[in-house]
Amino acid sequence: MKKLLALLLAVMMILSFASCGDKKDEEKTQVDLGVIAPLTGSVAQYGTGVYNGVSLAVEEINAAGGILGKQIVIQKFDSKGSETEGVNAINALITNEVDAVIGAVISSVTAAIAPLADEAGMVVVTPTSTADTVTEGYDYVFRTCFADSFQGKLAARYADKLGKTKAAVLYISSDPYSAGLYEAFKAECAALNIELVSVQSTASKDDTDFTTQLTTIQATGVEFLYAPCYYSAIGSYIIPQARNAGYNGIVMGADGYDGVIPYMADPKSMYENVYFTNHYSKDDVNPVVQNFVKSYTDKFGADTLNSFAALGYDAVYMVKQAMEEANTTQDKEAIKAAMADINFSGVTGSFTLDETGTPQKTAALLGFKDGAEIFVESVGLE
Amino acid sequence: MSLFVQQIFNGLKVGSVYALVALGYTMVYGIIRLINFAHGDFIMVGAYTLCYTIPLMVNAGMPAWMAVVLGIVVCVIVGVVVELLAYRPVRKKGTNMTALITAISMSLFLQNTAQSLFGSAPKPITTIFDLEPINIAGVSIAGETLVTILIGFAVMITLTVVVNKTKIGRSMRAVSQDRQAAILTGVNVNRTITLTFAIGAALAALAALMYCANYPAASPTMGGMLGLKAFVAAVLGGIGIIPGAMLGGILVGLVESLSKAYSAVLTGGIITSAFSDAVVFMILIFVLLIRPAGILGKNEREKV
Repeated sequence: MKKLLALLLAVMMILSFASCGDKKDEEKTQVDLGVIAPLTGSVAQYGTGVYNGVSLAVEEINAAGGILGKQIVIQKFDSKGSETEGVNAINALITNEVDAVIGAVISSVTAAIAPLADEAGMVVVTPTSTADTVTEGYDYVFRTCFADSFQGKLAARYADKLGKTKAAVLYISSDPYSAGLYEAFKAECAALNIELVSVQSTASKDDTDFTTQLTTIQATGVEFLYAPCYYSAIGSYIIPQARNAGYNGIVMGADGYDGVIPYMADPKSMYENVYFTNHYSKDDVNPVVQNFVKSYTDKFGADTLNSFAALGYDAVYMVKQAMEEANTTQDKEAIKAAMADINFSGVTGSFTLDETGTPQKTAALLGFKDGAEIFVESVGLE
Repeated sequence: MSLFVQQIFNGLKVGSVYALVALGYTMVYGIIRLINFAHGDFIMVGAYTLCYTIPLMVNAGMPAWMAVVLGIVVCVIVGVVVELLAYRPVRKKGTNMTALITAISMSLFLQNTAQSLFGSAPKPITTIFDLEPINIAGVSIAGETLVTILIGFAVMITLTVVVNKTKIGRSMRAVSQDRQAAILTGVNVNRTITLTFAIGAALAALAALMYCANYPAASPTMGGMLGLKAFVAAVLGGIGIIPGAMLGGILVGLVESLSKAYSAVLTGGIITSAFSDAVVFMILIFVLLIRPAGILGKNEREKV
C-alpha cells in the first residue's frame, strides 16, 4: 500500500514537471494583467479610482477584440497602501507569470516593488506614483503620471508668467510629497529670480491651524502663495484661514488639491484665485477625454471620477500599445523596449517617455469659480 | 506692533479650544485620578455626531449650534458605556497603570471604529456660527474665538460651583480624597464616577462644537494631537484644578502661535514654524521642573 502511494506521488510529480515545461513553450491564449492597488485602508479612494479606470479600459479592449486577438484577464491584488502587502503582491504576480503589471498607486508602495519587478524582468506601469525616484534606475518600471518636481517647476513658471517677483510657501515638512514639491518650486524660483519672502511649514499633515503662518505671510504683502498640501486641509482650513487673515492673493498647489470641492466652506468666492496643476481636466473638449468621462460616469457614477481613474485607464492602453508595437504579449524584453519608445496619446495627454520612464507631458491648470472647477489652460515646460 | 497683537489673537483662537478640551480632562482627573486618554476621541465622536446632525437641525429650521444637544446625548452615552464596559471592571481588579493602559486602548478602539464606520477621509462640517470677525485698530479677532472663550469661562465657573457647592460635588470631592472612606460614609462611589464621566463626555461634545466652528471637518484621528495638547494644557495649569485648565489652554495656544510666528526670525531660520509642537512640549518640561504640580498646583508634601 505504501509502495503504491509512493509510486502514485512520484508519477504525479513527474506529470506536474511536464505540465510546467509545456506551459513555457506554449503561447498563452490570454493576456494576464496584474493590478496592485489599495482597495481598502486609508488611501482606498485612490485605489478605487485607479481600479475602476483599469477595469473600464480592460472591458473596452476586450469588447473590441483584445490585444493581438487575446482577451485580457485581470489578477487583482489589494496592497492596502502598505509596502509589505505590495511586495507580497508583486512576488505572487511574478510567480503567476503575468505579462504586465499596473501598479502600485501610492509612491511608497511603488518604491518597494520597483526593484523586485526590475530584477525579475516584469514590466510595471504605475499610473499615479509621482515621487521622482520610483522609476529612476529601473528599466522595467514606467509611469503614466508626471513626477512631483515637474509640478513644482510649473508653479514657479506660472508665478513668473503672472509677473510675480515675490512668493511665499506653506508646506508640510514631514510629508515627502509636500516637501518634494517645495524643493522643486524653490529651485525653479531661484532660476527665475523670484524671491521667496516667507517660507512657512507645519510638522504634520493632520494639522488644522495655519492662522499664524498665514498671518505672517500676509504681513509680507506677497501676492503668490505656493501651498503644496492635500485637498481636505486646503478646503477646510488653509483657504478660509488665509482669507480671514486678510490674504486675498493667489494660492497655488498641485494634484493633491484634486477632490477639494466637498470640503469648501462658505462663501465659495474665497476659492477664487486658487489654482492647481492636475493630470487632466474633465472639462477638456478633446473627444478622447469626453468619451472617457461619459463611459466612466455611466458605469461608476461621477463620485470617483478623478485623475486616478483617468491615469489607471491610460496605463492599460499604454500596455496595449506597447504589446501591439512589440507584436507580442509575452516577450517582456520586447514589450519593455516598445514601452520605452512609446508615443502615446490618451485621456491624460499625448506624450513620450524620458530615460527614467516618466512621461514628457503637459499639465492642466485648474481654478475654481462659484465652487466648481474651471479649466484655465494647458501648461508645460516648453 | 499690530502684527504682534494679531498673532496673540491667533494664539487665543487655538488656545481657547485647548482650554475647553483641557477642562474635560482635568475634571475627570480631579475626581477619579485617571488620565482619560480617550477624552480627545470623545471629541471626535462629538464631531461626527455634529457632522450628521447639523444638516437635520438646519432643515428643521433651527440654528446649527442646537445640534450640540444631540452631540451631548451621543457623547454621554459613549462615555458612560466606555466607563461601564471598560474602566469599571479594570478599576475593580487592577491598578492605576492598568486603568491608564485601558484608556489608551479605548482611544485606539474609538479611532479604529470611526475609521471603519466613516472612512479615513475627513468629513466636512457646514458653517456652525455665521459670525463676522471683530476689527479693532487693524487687528481682527474671529467671532468664534470670543464665543469659545466665553463658553470656556462659563464652563469653568459652572464646574467650580458644582464641585464645591452641590451635594453631588461633595461626593465627588469625597471620592477624590479617599475612596474607601467615601464608601464608609455612604457615598455611592460607582454612581459618582459614572456621573463624572458623563459630565466629562458632555464637555467633550461642547468642545467638539467649538472645535468644529473653528476647524470645520471631522476625521477619525482628530482627537489624537488635540487630546495630547489639551493634556499638556491641563498639566501646565495644574491637573485636577479647574481654573488651571483654562489658564493652561490659553497659554499653550499663545506659546504655539508665538513660536510659529517668531522662532524662525529669532533663530535665523534654524527653528522653523514646523517646530512649534516641540517648543510647546519643551516649555511644559521647563515649567514642570520649576513647579512640578503645575502653575496653579499646590506642592503637597507627603506626611509620614
